[in-house]
Amino acid sequence: MINDPAMEDKKEFKSQATIEIIDNGPIKITGRILIRDSKRDITDNPEEVYLCRCGRSQNKPYCDESHKK
Amino acid sequence: MDKAGSFSGGRRYTNGEITVYWKPDACVHASHCYRELIDVFDPGRRPWVDMYGASTGQIIETVNMCPTEALAWKWNEEEKNKTIDADQTNHINFRRPELMGSGDDTPEEKPATVKVMPDGPLVISGSFTMHYSGNKKEVNDSIISLCRCGSSNHMPFCDGAHRKVEFNDK
Ligand code: FES
Ligand code: FES
Repeated sequence: MINDPAMEDKKEFKSQATIEIIDNGPIKITGRILIRDSKRDITDNPEEVYLCRCGRSQNKPYCDESHKK
Repeated sequence: MDKAGSFSGGRRYTNGEITVYWKPDACVHASHCYRELIDVFDPGRRPWVDMYGASTGQIIETVNMCPTEALAWKWNEEEKNKTIDADQTNHINFRRPELMGSGDDTPEEKPATVKVMPDGPLVISGSFTMHYSGNKKEVNDSIISLCRCGSSNHMPFCDGAHRKVEFNDK
């Protein structure tokens, strides 16, 4: 029943995306995602994306392999 | 099996509180929806309906302006659908009575939302599965911040260090 919070929780859980933190590398996100970057005015829903987490990419928010340098 | 998020003749979208039904072939392009609430109804975006772009009240108000049955709405809590005033013109009870009590309640797939904070972390909200250094974690309808500046001491999470290092996400 709807007033059973535990059951409601289970029903609601549905992983929409997979977020993988790559050691010494970017964040890989796949699945159903919506990306919003207000600074660069980007709204996107890619199926797969690599986002920089080293701070050095020249193409933020995306990884451009700068983390290897 | 029907893909979650679709129903015969259209799609549905939810913010957990209400569900909005969209029936594209009923649309006469009166354009009330996106003129009123472009943050929610944006024909140039995919998916074109973002149920988190405005409050539930604003969404209901805008859906009620639709002159056709292209947009209709209902409360997710079925009890509430039984007492709907007639001024709620686009409640499914008036616009799409065939959907009333259809028990068609599978939660709509909502995408995980990734916000890139200016000069700060990635803020990820929704339900998703996370893999990090050999761990797997199911995150259920919640919010996390992941470091993007490379300087956090609590990787992969943001610990505020981006401020100290004056991370400039140019
Ligand atoms: S993580 Fe690849 S460029 Fe930053
Ligand atoms: S973004 Fe906040 S600590 Fe790196």
